Amino acid sequence: MKAFICGFGTIGQSVAKILKEKQEFFLDRYGEPLVVVGALDSKSFTVNPDGLNADELLSTKKTTGMVGDKPYKNIKDALNAVDFDILIEVTSTDIYTGGVGLDNIRYALKNGKDVVTANKGPLALRYKELINLADEHGRYLLFEGTVGGAMPIINLNKYDLAGQQIKSIRGIFNGTCNYILTKMDDGQPFEQALREAQQQGYAEADPTSDVEGYDSACKVVILANSIFGRNATFNDVDITGITSINSDAVALAKANGMVIRLIGEVSATKLEVAPRLIPRGHPLSLPGTLNTAEIITEYAGPITVSGIGAGGPETASAILSDIIDIMDVRIGE
Amino acid sequence: MQLGAIMIVNAELFVNDLPGQLIGSLEPISLVNGNILGVVHNREKIIDHRICVNVTFEVDDKRLEELKDLWQSKDIVISSLGSVHETFKMDYILIGDVNAQYIESLVKKINEATTIDQISVSYSSKSIKTASHTSLISIKARYEDNLDKIDMILRRECKRSNVTYVRGV
Repeated sequence: MKAFICGFGTIGQSVAKILKEKQEFFLDRYGEPLVVVGALDSKSFTVNPDGLNADELLSTKKTTGMVGDKPYKNIKDALNAVDFDILIEVTSTDIYTGGVGLDNIRYALKNGKDVVTANKGPLALRYKELINLADEHGRYLLFEGTVGGAMPIINLNKYDLAGQQIKSIRGIFNGTCNYILTKMDDGQPFEQALREAQQQGYAEADPTSDVEGYDSACKVVILANSIFGRNATFNDVDITGITSINSDAVALAKANGMVIRLIGEVSATKLEVAPRLIPRGHPLSLPGTLNTAEIITEYAGPITVSGIGAGGPETASAILSDIIDIMDVRIGE
Repeated sequence: MQLGAIMIVNAELFVNDLPGQLIGSLEPISLVNGNILGVVHNREKIIDHRICVNVTFEVDDKRLEELKDLWQSKDIVISSLGSVHETFKMDYILIGDVNAQYIESLVKKINEATTIDQISVSYSSKSIKTASHTSLISIKARYEDNLDKIDMILRRECKRSNVTYVRGV
């Protein structure tokens, strides 16, 4: 099968690297390789119907800042330049409009391509439309990497917990906020903890999406739609960020055996992101950049999963599992 | 039947020293949908040819009188009955322009709307010199529904006064 990597930032580069490393696995499992025939970043693209060399892509990106040598005016021109089966959509997230990712996913599905994405924006804004589009064209749209990075949650609910009612999911869905709140547990004020998160590369220069809870809200929407069958959008989420959490509040919580964590909660009736008081030792009191989710199920009781919520290889691992799901169906194990 | 609050009861009963009497003393608890947590058959404690049975169980407080009647109808003597209610606890931190007067008005509104078993308020020490504090309110309620009501009141009032409220899980 042939794949086109759309977006060649941290995640796109990790996907290229992992797909190259897994060629033997693909040959063993399917008797054929998964060939990357196209790659695109914000400025350029490159294609080769016989397959691109991942090492060359990574090296070109490192030395020139671009993945290819061809500029483009319209992404569709790049996507039309080569035939492929799976679009790996990992352009940067735009939670306000869906950004180019939304256009790319629509275009690929309409043109008979399966899509794997880690881009939250399009799904948080247009979930129903995109799923319907995929169904209409008999294509797959898989998005395990959109929630929790390496932490399995969507496919866990869809496959391993299939058949039973999921009563609620609540969890830490933003590693940046968790890092900041953990630092505040140790006495750092919010501004200092945020600066440290930025210096460590956990927070963007503009941290609004993280600290105001928007990023977590996108994930809550994706879970609500994909697991609870709701038709929610970003605007339906009751959002409170962590910017008003001060050292006093954290100290008061600590003195009473608790910590403050930004928790996303989703159920059949609830869509919320808010700072919550968590008893120390509770599964949701996790420190650092980890993501975690507590799933309350009909028969299996509470199930807790956790993992690294962001990062290239971690998110690429979720993308790899989605690609394998598609190849299992398209080619067969 | 409307359900009441769950209470944990420890009863000291005296049953006739005859076969089947122990089971006979426990059956009424099941009949009122109680949940037996522990039973001690105290054969050393005999009064008036009756053997002591200590039983601890959970029961809906609205059915306790029914249970007592059942025991009495079976000639079981209730020597003592101690109980505690199961309570539901929730903590809230309020951040913003919060002073004692504000908290007092919140507590009044909560008390008007629902029944609470216990409420305690503590303030952050750092800002105690100023009128505004960060406050921790711990509430114990007898019914889980009460917590939902309290949550609604706090959410509404805090939004109105631009106070951030952080609730427990």
